[in-house]
Amino acid sequence: MLIPSIERTSAWAPGIESAEQLRAWFAAPQPLAADAHPEAKFLPAMLRRRCTPLTKIMLTAAYGACDAGELGDVRTVFSSRHGSINESIGLLEAIAASGRVSAATFSHSVHNAQAGLFSIAVGNRQASSSLAGQEDSFPTGFLEALTHLHRAPERKVLLVMGDVPLAETFAKLVDESPASYGVGLLLSADGSGPRVSIDLEPGAENAPLPPWPAAFEFLRWLDSGEPRLCIQTPRRTWTFRRR
Amino acid sequence: MRDGCRLAALGMVNALGASTETIETRLFAGETGLRRRDDAVPDRTLYLGEVREPLPLVPDRMAHYRCRNNALSLAALRQFEDVARATIERVGRHRVGVLFGTSTSGVSDAEEALRHQREQGGLAPGFAYAQLEFGGGAGFIADYLGVTGPTYTISTACSSGARALASARSLIDLGVCDAVIAGATDTLCNLTIFGFTALQAVSDEITNPCSANRKGLSLGEASALFLVTRDSGGIQLLGVGESTEAHHMSAPDPTGAGAEVAMRGALADADIAAHDVLYLNLHGTGTTLNDGMECAAVARVFGFDTACSSTKPLVGHTLGAAGATEAGFCWLALQAAVASELPLIPHRWDGVRDAEIPPIDLIDRPRAIPFSTRAIVATNSFGFGGNNCVLILGRAA
Repeated sequence: MLIPSIERTSAWAPGIESAEQLRAWFAAPQPLAADAHPEAKFLPAMLRRRCTPLTKIMLTAAYGACDAGELGDVRTVFSSRHGSINESIGLLEAIAASGRVSAATFSHSVHNAQAGLFSIAVGNRQASSSLAGQEDSFPTGFLEALTHLHRAPERKVLLVMGDVPLAETFAKLVDESPASYGVGLLLSADGSGPRVSIDLEPGAENAPLPPWPAAFEFLRWLDSGEPRLCIQTPRRTWTFRRR
Repeated sequence: MRDGCRLAALGMVNALGASTETIETRLFAGETGLRRRDDAVPDRTLYLGEVREPLPLVPDRMAHYRCRNNALSLAALRQFEDVARATIERVGRHRVGVLFGTSTSGVSDAEEALRHQREQGGLAPGFAYAQLEFGGGAGFIADYLGVTGPTYTISTACSSGARALASARSLIDLGVCDAVIAGATDTLCNLTIFGFTALQAVSDEITNPCSANRKGLSLGEASALFLVTRDSGGIQLLGVGESTEAHHMSAPDPTGAGAEVAMRGALADADIAAHDVLYLNLHGTGTTLNDGMECAAVARVFGFDTACSSTKPLVGHTLGAAGATEAGFCWLALQAAVASELPLIPHRWDGVRDAEIPPIDLIDRPRAIPFSTRAIVATNSFGFGGNNCVLILGRAA
């Protein structure tokens, strides 16, 4: 089983936009806010105008985890539980109201919109995946990143995990703490950063997830020096270990 | 020949039918399952590849997963359910994963739920978010079979189904899984019908790929699911090639550079030469942009002697399911390759060549091609957001 090293990380959430704010959160973790998104001024204006809140968050995390020179060279994995569902709901409502949709909004409502816009913004022609895994979206994103490292071990893989709250229409159907956030991990097959393995173990460990996203809990754990992190979702138990 | 990723079983449902036997007969005859619809979009005629057969009901214990997308998946899964369960029993349910692809998920049922809300003030009582969220398509299959390995949905528009197979192979290679249920399902819905119409990408005739008269795509719905194992022999997934266009969200790089990188990458991964490929299933959507760039790239990589066809005139562009559906068609051809002859799927079109398109070899009628030691085929999938994935399948004689 491939054990990647984590070369660099990045994070964004409302009020957690700098290294100091992130360290303060590590020291006193609490549920994330949901009511803001970054301006993503590093994006060209024309492209930025087409970005949804989720896209600005995920691209902020993406840029934050790479050196400028690396942005075009990394393979990418974008994971989001909800992805562009809010935009899709908007499109369905537009169809019902007027019998028409905006072509541009439609083509940007695909689940891989963030990956596509990232690739255009930085000229990245490397392989890319976008995925969703219900409550397991972060650990399955990590696994998907390993599949990329396996197929091309000479290339780093940028994993971006992000979500924004579901629109009200469906939010009441889902049991989760609404949060707006993005996390970036730059992984390599043989780098110098901390090596972290992932294992999927059957059975529950009675270790329920804290009320903040699994990706943020992963960052807190990585910073803490603890040897093991157990992430328990409704259907799976994942264990990350420092190697 | 690279070994250790066997496509051990296949289930399919699409506009050609609801079993591989029915589909296969019509496929090799070049029959279309597309039907004219004047009521799908106001003031428009278009052709849709609908699945008209009755679909199985998602079991009561999983009613929260009930939606057309999962019913299509179930129709495909049932075709090899016995084999799947025997494999799960053999390797252990913790060693079996689900790698699913979709671009629509349960959107058509969400459309109904929203209509109910508009007309009656509340979402339809049977609606649950598990039907709509993209990860639910994989979760449904895992819960249905009782597997507890890695379960997730890849959604990269028209390359989703191909990527699901590529990742399944990697999970097996990594030692994470011994078997994976891998494939994809997409459902016809207002979102994609209206969306592609707004992009002016939809033809008012049956899609006519590579023709000088081509006017766009025809949409379809489908499910194609495979049982993928680490066994040798049989039909193997030999190679994966992948790239990103980095050009435009809904249009490919007109030079075909990204498509070329993906095709060459797949050949290198399979450790074969272009002339080893007996048949190439084109992405062939029938749009001006795709067919021009794809054929240019195919000509550069394969030359003019490789037999090619697009199967989108037969079942429509099934979007997220296309890569898996077309891999399924390749699988059917390999499965039927007895007596060292590979049956070729005809390219259904009006036969009018586009002078701007390189004259690649489009299969003009049902026929078969001889082979000696092994039969190898390839399939292209190029998706919105510029996500490209090419798969190479093969079997020994």
